[in-house]
Amino acid sequence: MEAGDYVLIKSAIIMNRSRSLLKYSITRLALAPIMLWLISSLVFLLLRVAPGDPVDAILGNRADSAAREALRIKLGLNKPLILQYLNYINNLIHGDLGQSLNNQESVSKLIAKTLPASIELGIAAIVIALLIGLAVAFIGIAKPEGKTDLAGRLFGIGTYALPPFWIAMLIQILFSVILGWLPIGGRLSPNLIAPQGSGFLVLDSIKNGNFIILASSLRHLLLPACTLGLLLSGIFSRSLRVNFEKIMNTNYIQAAESRGIKRNKIIFYHALPNALLPVLTIAGLTIASLIGGALLIEVTFSWPGLALGLQEAINQRDYPMVQGIVVVVSSLVVSISLFVDILIASIDPRIKY
Amino acid sequence: MNLIRNYLKPVLKLIVFAIVFNQISCTPQKPENLITLASNGKIESLDPAQANKLLAIQLISTLGDTLYRIDSNGSLEPRLARGKPILSSDGLTISIPLREDVLFHDGTHFDSEAMAFSIKRFQEIGTLNYIINDRILQIDTPEKYLLKIKLSRPSSSINGLLTSINLTPISPSFYSKYKDKFLNNNIVATGPYKLSHFSPERISIKPFDNYWDQKSNNFGINYISFNTSTSLFSAIKTGQVDILLSNSIEDGHRLILNKLSQEGILNEGKGPAMQIGYIAFRTNSELLKEKKIRQALSYSIDRELISNQVSYGQREPLRSLIPPILQINSTSQWPKFQPDIAKNLFKEAGYCNGEILTIPLTFRSNVPSDKLLALTWQEQIKRDLSDCLKISLNGVESTTVYKQLSDGIYDAVILEWTGDYPDPYSYLSPLLDCKQIKNNVCKEGEAVIGGTFWGDLELQDSLDKSELLTGEERLNELRKVESIAAKGLPIIPIWNLNPRAWTQPNLNEPEFDGSGRLRLDKISNNHEQI
Repeated sequence: MEAGDYVLIKSAIIMNRSRSLLKYSITRLALAPIMLWLISSLVFLLLRVAPGDPVDAILGNRADSAAREALRIKLGLNKPLILQYLNYINNLIHGDLGQSLNNQESVSKLIAKTLPASIELGIAAIVIALLIGLAVAFIGIAKPEGKTDLAGRLFGIGTYALPPFWIAMLIQILFSVILGWLPIGGRLSPNLIAPQGSGFLVLDSIKNGNFIILASSLRHLLLPACTLGLLLSGIFSRSLRVNFEKIMNTNYIQAAESRGIKRNKIIFYHALPNALLPVLTIAGLTIASLIGGALLIEVTFSWPGLALGLQEAINQRDYPMVQGIVVVVSSLVVSISLFVDILIASIDPRIKY
Repeated sequence: MNLIRNYLKPVLKLIVFAIVFNQISCTPQKPENLITLASNGKIESLDPAQANKLLAIQLISTLGDTLYRIDSNGSLEPRLARGKPILSSDGLTISIPLREDVLFHDGTHFDSEAMAFSIKRFQEIGTLNYIINDRILQIDTPEKYLLKIKLSRPSSSINGLLTSINLTPISPSFYSKYKDKFLNNNIVATGPYKLSHFSPERISIKPFDNYWDQKSNNFGINYISFNTSTSLFSAIKTGQVDILLSNSIEDGHRLILNKLSQEGILNEGKGPAMQIGYIAFRTNSELLKEKKIRQALSYSIDRELISNQVSYGQREPLRSLIPPILQINSTSQWPKFQPDIAKNLFKEAGYCNGEILTIPLTFRSNVPSDKLLALTWQEQIKRDLSDCLKISLNGVESTTVYKQLSDGIYDAVILEWTGDYPDPYSYLSPLLDCKQIKNNVCKEGEAVIGGTFWGDLELQDSLDKSELLTGEERLNELRKVESIAAKGLPIIPIWNLNPRAWTQPNLNEPEFDGSGRLRLDKISNNHEQI
C-alpha cells in the first residue's frame, strides 16, 4: 500500500467518525428536551399526589374552610389539574418558571440568587475531591499491593461509606468549635456585604479586587468544600485505581512491556489516559448532581444553596419553586452528561455510536 | 545551594501569603459595630401583609410599630395610638386617636390615611387576612389623626387584634406600586430601626434617627441564619454571634445554654410563652367517642415527667388552653395526673381486665419534641397503666398532618398552637369554635379543621357572647368556655414553651415584650455608649 493510500484511508475513517459523532450529538441533543419534559411532568404530578398543599403549609391548622379556599383560589390551586399542567408546560416552553407561592417572587430570580452558591461549592468540592482522590490513587499505583495501596483502598471505601451529616458535624465541631479556625457556617462574615455581581463570591471579589471579601468567602467555603470533597474523593480514587489495574492487565500493556518500554512511559502514555476516562465521566455527573444534591452539607454548614432552597420549598409545598429547581438541576445534569458523553466519544476511538 | 534557592523562594512566598491571608481573614470585620443576631430560618419577606412566621414577625416588630402592644404585664399599651380604643355604644365602631409625631423611614408622616391604607392592603392581599376580614366592615378616616373601624359584629377581641404585626402601618407613598402585591425585600415603616440591607445571607437594620419614641440602645443588628441547632449553639458558644434566639434550639442545647447563663458565661432572657402544645382527640372516632375514655386519658398523662424527660424541665406543664400571660383562670381546669382515677375510668369503660385499649397517637415527624413527647408518654403508660392502655405511635410529616386533620384520619394527634394575636379568644376560638353542632359532634367549623370534631352548644354560646362583652363579664364567659372544654376533653393541653434569648456577656440581658418578641432596641453593649 502506498503512503498516499494510507493517508486517504485515514482521512476517510476520520471523516466517517466525525459524521457519526455529529449524528450521535444531534440525536442526544434532540433527546434532551424530551427527557426534560418527562422529568418536569413527573415532578409536577408527584407534587400534586403528595398529601398537603401550599395552603396547608402556610396556614397549618389555622383558618376556616372559606379562608383556606380563598387562599387556594389566590394561589391558583382551584383550577383543574390539567389546566394547571398545560399552563405550567406552556410557561416552561417560554422560559417562565412561574412565581413562588410563598412570597410571589419570580422563581427564576430566586434560583438565580442561590444557584451560584451551589455551583461555587460544587466546583470547589470537585477540585478537592479530584486532588485527594487522584493523589491517593497515584500513591497506590506507584506501589501496588503495598501498605500505602491498602491504606488508599480503605480510604476509598471509608469515605464512600461515611454518613455525610455525621462527618460534616464532626468536622464542624473540630475546626469551628474546638480549634476555632474556621467559621461555623454561612457564605460570608455577617459584617461584610457581598459585592454586586454574578453571585459567585470568590470570582466577584477577585474581579472587584476586594481581598477582605475574598478571604472571608474562602474561609467560609473551605470547610463545606473540604468535607464534600473528602466524601467524594473515595469514588475517584477507587475508580482510577480499579480501572488502572484492569488496564495494566490488558494485552496492549503487556505487549508494550515485552517490547521493553519503560514502566513510567507505559503508565503515563498508555495506561493512564484510558484509566482516566471513567473518572472524567464520574466527575461530570458528580458536579451536576452536586448542584442539587449537597443537601446535608448545605444544611450542616448553613450554606445558602439550591439544595437547601429545594428542601424548604418541598416542606412548604411551594410547587413552582420545587418544579423550577428540579427543572434547572435536571437541565444541568442533562447538559453536563451530554457534554461529557460527546467529549468521551470524541476522544475514545473504542466507543461506537 | 541551587536546590535550596530553587525551593526556598516559593516556600517563603507561600508562608508570607499564608500569614497575610490569615491576618486578613482572621481580623474581626466589624466596621459598623453591629450586633449579630442568629436564629434558624430564612426570612423570605419583610412585608407585614405576608408575615406568618415567628422570625419575620420578630424582625418586623423592630422595624415597625403597631397601634398597640402587649406590655410585659399582659396589658394593652398604646403605641401609635394616643390612647385606648373607644368602643361605640352598639359595639360596632372603634375610634382610635393616633399620635401626631410619627414619621415613616422615608420621611413621610404617619396619619390615619396611612393606617387605613395598611389595614386595607392587609385585607386585600394578606396571607392571614382571614383574621380580620370577617370582622372589619369599613375603615374611615374622619380626621387626620383619628381612625374609625366599623365592625361587622361586636368583637371584644379586636383590641388584641390591633397588636397584630400584620397591621403594622407602612408608608403609602413608598408602597404605592405595591398596593396589591407583596414587597418582600424592603420595608418602610415607623419602627426604631430601618432596614439597611436585605439578602438571603443577611439582614441588617440600623437605628432610625427620627424615631418618635426612645432611641435604640445599639448601633444596629445583623441577622444571620444557621440551619441546625448544633450550629446555632456552637455559634453563640464560640462567640461568633452576639445574640441567639431560641427558635429551633433543641431542648438539650437550651439546657446547656441555661446552665452557661447561670455560670455567668452568657446572659439569658425569657419571654412569655405564647405557644401551647396539646393532644387533640377525634371525639367522633369509635375509640374516643366515649367521654370516659378521654377523661381516663386525661388523668393518665404525667406532664411533669414528660417535661423533665423531653425538655429537662424547660417546657412548663400546662393544664389550660391559654398561655399564662393571658390567663383568665386562677386555677387550672384540666385534670392532673392521677393514674388510679384513670384506671378506674378505664375499668368502667370495660378495659383493664385482660382487655387493653390501644390508642394510635400521631406525632409530627419533623418536630423532634413531638416525637419525644409521644415516646415518653408511651413509656409512662407502660409503667403506670400497662394492663389498661397501650399507645401505638405514628409519625407523619407536619404538612400532611394539617391536610388530613379535617379528614378525620387521626384519633389522637400532638399539635401546637400560637394565637394570631395575644388574646384568650385567639386561643379558644380556633381550637373550639364550631358553626354546626349535633349531639356534641361538630359538623362544620374550626373544631373540624383542628381534627377534634367536637362541639358544645353551651360553650359555643359563651364563646359568641364573650365577643359582645368587656371586662370581668367577658372573662367570666371565657372561663366558662374553658371549663366546658375541660370537661368535654376534645383536647388535652400538655405544655407551653417560653421564648428565650441568649447574649454574650459584654451585652445586657435580653428583654421580651408581652407578645413574646425580643426587644432588640434594648440590647446594648456594656462598654459602648451610643
